[in-house]
Parts: sequence; C-alpha cells; structure tokens
Amino acid sequence: MEILFFASIVVYFAATMLQAVGVALRKEKLCRAARIAFAVGFALHTIFTAWRGIAAGRLPLANQFEFASGFAWSAAIMGLVLYARLKQEWVLTVSMPVAFLVLSYAAFQPMEIKELMPALRSTWFALHIGSATFSYAAFAIAGGLGAHYLIQLKKGHAESEIRMKQTDYMAYRLICLGFLLLTVVILSGAIWAEQAWSRWWSWDPKETWALITWILYAIYLHQRMRMKWQGRRMAWFAVIAVFCVLFTFAGVNKLLPGLHSYAV
Amino acid sequence: MQFGMILLVLVIACSAAGSLIVQQREPMEYVNRYGSQTAQLILALKLNDVFSAPYFFVLMAALCLNLTLCSILRLPRTMKAAQQLRTNACGVQPTSALEQGQADRLCGLLKKRHFRCEECDGRKIYTKNLFGFYGSFLTHLSFLLVLVVGAAAVVTAQVTDQTVMPGETLVLDDGASITVEAFQIEDATGKLDYASQLVMKSADGKREAAKQIRVNEPLSFEGYKVYQQTYGTAGSVLIHNNLNGASEVMTLIEACFLTLDGKNGMFFQALYPGYVTDADGSVTLITSTSGDYSDPVYDVLSVSAGMMTPVLAFPGETLTIGDVSFTLQDPVSYPGLRIKHMNTAILGALYAVFLLMVAALYLCFFTVPVAVAVTQDGYAVLAPKTQTGLLIDIQSCLEEEE
Ligand code: HEM
Repeated sequence: MEILFFASIVVYFAATMLQAVGVALRKEKLCRAARIAFAVGFALHTIFTAWRGIAAGRLPLANQFEFASGFAWSAAIMGLVLYARLKQEWVLTVSMPVAFLVLSYAAFQPMEIKELMPALRSTWFALHIGSATFSYAAFAIAGGLGAHYLIQLKKGHAESEIRMKQTDYMAYRLICLGFLLLTVVILSGAIWAEQAWSRWWSWDPKETWALITWILYAIYLHQRMRMKWQGRRMAWFAVIAVFCVLFTFAGVNKLLPGLHSYAV
Repeated sequence: MQFGMILLVLVIACSAAGSLIVQQREPMEYVNRYGSQTAQLILALKLNDVFSAPYFFVLMAALCLNLTLCSILRLPRTMKAAQQLRTNACGVQPTSALEQGQADRLCGLLKKRHFRCEECDGRKIYTKNLFGFYGSFLTHLSFLLVLVVGAAAVVTAQVTDQTVMPGETLVLDDGASITVEAFQIEDATGKLDYASQLVMKSADGKREAAKQIRVNEPLSFEGYKVYQQTYGTAGSVLIHNNLNGASEVMTLIEACFLTLDGKNGMFFQALYPGYVTDADGSVTLITSTSGDYSDPVYDVLSVSAGMMTPVLAFPGETLTIGDVSFTLQDPVSYPGLRIKHMNTAILGALYAVFLLMVAALYLCFFTVPVAVAVTQDGYAVLAPKTQTGLLIDIQSCLEEEE
C-alpha cells in the first residue's frame, strides 16, 4: 500500500508541473490535465490515508509522518474545494505545490506504523490534531497566495485588478479560518493536557510555538482589520508567517524536544 | 505600530527566548552550554526562567489592561455603529451605478446570500449579520476571561502527589478516601498500560466511584481528579520473629535497617530488576528504568555480631539472622497518584470561556455585518473594508451576464 503514497507524490508533482507550464504558456488544456492529475493524486492519497487508519486501528495522525501526510491532504482538499467554488486557476497554482512539498517532506520521515502511546489515546486527539492539519494547510495556502500576489505585482499587474484583490482577500479569509482552527488546537490541547498530565499549560516548546504562531496571526488580523493594511504588506506578512508555522510544525520536533517529542 | 501590537510582539519575543533557551536549570548548566559570558547575561535577564520572571507578568498584565481599556472605550462606538448601519443605508447616496435590469439581478444575488430585505424611503435595504459587530468585542472579552479564569483555575487547585501501595487506602484532609485495589504495568495482552484500579469514597462513605485510571483517564469525583502520574517497584519482605512466632510483611522502598535489638538484622540497600552472570561466574546487577523486574535481586547486608556480610538474595530466599527470619518476596509495583482538587464552578467557567472564544472568533470572521442599499439606478455597500469579497461577488455577478 506504500506504493499509493509514493504514487500520490509523483502525481502531485506532475500536477504542479503541468499547472505551472499551463499557466505560464496560458494553455487551458494543460491546466485541465493538471486539475485531473491533482484530483487523481488526491484520490490515491485519500485511499492510502484510509488504509493506514484501518491498518493502525486509529486516526492516522499520530506521528510526524502521518501528521505531514494529513497536512498535505488538508491542503489538497482545501485547494480542490476552493477551486470548485471560485473556479479560479490561481487557487490550484498555489495549493498543488503546497500539497506536493509537504507530502515530500513526509516521505523523509519514519513510515512504520507504531502503536499509539498511552498519552495519545484520547478523544481530544482527533479534534486537536485534526484541526492542526487544516489550520496549517490554511496558513500554508495563504502564504502561497501571498507569494503569488507578490510575483504578480512584480510582473506589473499581469492579472486584472479584481483578480489581485481576490487573491489578497482569499489569503485573508484563509488566515481567518486557520486562526480559528489554531484556537481550537490550542484550547483542545489545553483540555487534553489537563486530562493526561493534570496541567493545562506547561510552556512545552510545541505549545509555546503554537502560541507564537497564534499571536503572529493575531497581529496580521489586527493590521488588516484595524490599520486597514492590504495588498503588498499583507502578502509579505502571510509569506513570512508561514516560516513560523513550518517551525512549529517540523522545526520544534527536531530542535526543541519536549512533551510533544513522540511526534518526531 | 500601536501599543497593543508592540506588547504582542514582546510576548512573542519572550516566548521564543523561553523555548530556545533551556529553562529552570542550575546556573552551571548555562555556563557549560553557552559559555560564562552568555550565561551571565541569561541569568541577569532571567532568561533561564522567562515564564515566571516579573517582567513577563508585567507584560501580560499590561496586555490585559490595554485590551480591557481598548474594548471598553470602543464598546459604545460599536453599539452605535450597529444601530446606525441601517439608518445610514437608508440615507446613503449610491456609490456605483446600475444599468437597466441590473438592480433586480443584484437583489436576486443578495437574497440568495440570505440577506434580510427591508424597504426604506423607496429603496431596498439588505442587511446581514448585524450581530457580527460584537465579534471583536466578544473575542477580546473571551481572551481576557480565558486568562483570568485560567489563572483562577491554576491558583485555586490543590495538588498533592502520593504513592499508595496496592491494597492500601489513603485518607484525604476532608475525610474522603482513595483505595488502590490493584496496579498493573502491562495489560492482559502484554501492552504497556500503567493502570490503577481505584475506589474513591466521600467523607461520609455514602457516595463512591470506582475506575481503572491510566494516562488520559483520570478518576473524577466530587471536585477531585485522581491521575495515574508515576509508578515504582518496591521490595517486600516477610519478617518472622522466631521467639514469639509473630510475622509481618514490610515494603522496602528506601534503604533501611530491619532489626529487633538494634544490633543484629538485615540492612536493605536496593532492589535490582535483573542481573547477568559472566563467564567466570561473577554476577553483574542491572539497573534498568524500563519498569520490568524480570529477575529481581535484593542487595542486602546481613548484620550479625558486629559483622556486615553483603548478600544477593532472590525472592523466596530466607535469611535467618539471630532470632529473626527474613523471607524476601516478589517485588510489588505501585502507582504514584496525583490528586487534584478543583472548584467545579471555576472548571465549568473555564470550559464555557473556551467555547465563548471559539464562538466569538466565528462571529468575528464569518458573520461580518454588512448593509447594501439598492435603488433602481445604483447601489452602495456599507460594511467594513474587509468585505472586499462581497464587492467582488457583486461586480462579478453584474459583469457575468453582460
Ligand atoms: C485573539 C487574540 C487577540 C488578542 C491578543 C488581541 C489583542 C488586542 C490588543 C492588545 C488591542 C489593542 C491595540 C491598541 O489599541 O493598541 C486590540 C485591539 C483591537 N482588536 Fe484585538 N486581539 C485579539 C483578537 C482580535 C480579533 C480576532 C479581532 C477581530 C476582529 C480583534 C479586533 C480588534 C480591534 C478592532 C481592535 C481595536 C480596538 C480599538 O481601537 O480600541 N482582535 N486587540
């Protein structure tokens, strides 16, 4: 079944390339092929994830490999749903590489199915980690949209004014969604920690970095809502903030072990 | 940048320092890790214990104060804005022109988007999500409440750690009792489990709860939570007084001297989980921390007539020293319990404010208030600037069928 996992990486990569060339050369046929490939990659990825869940007898989100795979899966489904609603190419141009890169990162993590350690056997587990994958995916796509916005700007308004506004607005909406979900991650994590270790909050590195990410995006939202920042500045913010998300996601596990070190 | 945002940036800076620099270690460890000059700086700035440093509390307090003042000062304006949106929509001049037939198309789009329609001075006013005006106020309120109620939950909780041997009962200050009926490291299938079977009784003995507790599954009973926190393994010895025939079983956790006359007896030093025998027949004791006592060995001293003789004894062996026989038993595993007493009202309030925070954020982000005034030849959108999405939708809807 691991073959499905590697097949989805290859298909996501093919979709990313087809989309990039299709957009660059303005060839709708290539973009359509990219969309089909992305949907196929997503289907393979879904089957692999479901198989892994059944084989492990639990939610397949218990270690860094599974979590990264869940993150990529969330990015793919978000991209597909947004595309279905908005019918805008740029949504896929951004979500395809996100899904591909995150899944490739997963490929470098230990893949064997391990038994769930006692601390993870909780009903809060699904809510805590499930929201985290979607939250990270929303932030990552928002960062990708930020980068897309900046590239378009550099090209001198290759896209129409309305399209630029749409990209800017979509990044903001995704950050709203990611922020709401990250709040759920932090609060459910606190409840879970109290159940498992009797403490709501212990300044464990993963907790601390989730809080840092949360505050960073709170600043983004304030600058947008209060100071009416838009466009270029917000795009830069969204791009830079993604590095903080990535550090919380992967860097903390590798560099700052703590209570969450099972996630390595 | 505004003051509030500067405070948030400072919280980020402190948190990052607190996670990148190891916390609450001995000063020497900082010298070894970072060199003496950096260590001095870390200790002087209290970066070795950021989250309990006075400046961190001052920062959090300033943030709360700033947020409270911001929210209170802003509330009347928010309420006024909520009331005025409809009135404003009534009197506003159209900002964008509509061509023949487009007004109906726009009204159709707004109805499809669940806007409420009212007539006002011959124009149509469409409103939606007026309660969303209170989103940011409620978000700020919930953030403050999470901090305040969370702090109250931590400060008022009484926590004690206690080891209880299987079969023993622990009586708490208020008379409630906890009995550990059994403790197991592995379950029936051999998986690591660390579970204690507990029975907890109220002070008057009338109410009780029984539960097998393990990580993630504490016992909750009348404001108490009992956690399976740690575990240990202790030796056990049956002591028989050969003079009067009396016997007693004792648990051996720490080094101790068991004697009847103060001179002769058994000095218990340690219990080892296993041993290996080398080729020359000498025995090396194993100090494992896995919790598995597969071949337990007692390291004791036999003290008799002023002589101390080291002895390695196995469960089942008996040492007779003077008039006393010491029969070493199989080791017993026991749980370390954490007993936490919390005010149930505070706990309920904490869960409630968690929910409030999620609901408030939802209100903030996904129920943005907006009013659209539509006349036959133009329209105007009254909403925060972030309603770009609606403006885009309107433009696309109008452009689509042209
Ligand atoms: C979630 C964590 C949040 C924190 C820690 C936070 C913190 C703060 C702080 C410290 C200020 C005062 C800024 C100043 O005037 O210098 C402020 C203002 C403000 N915040 Fe938040 N905020 C949070 C969430 C939100 C959200 C989600 C919104 C969303 C709509 C929001 C909307 C506002 C607005 C509109 C102001 C301006 C208040 C005024 O002008 O008096 N905040 N916030």
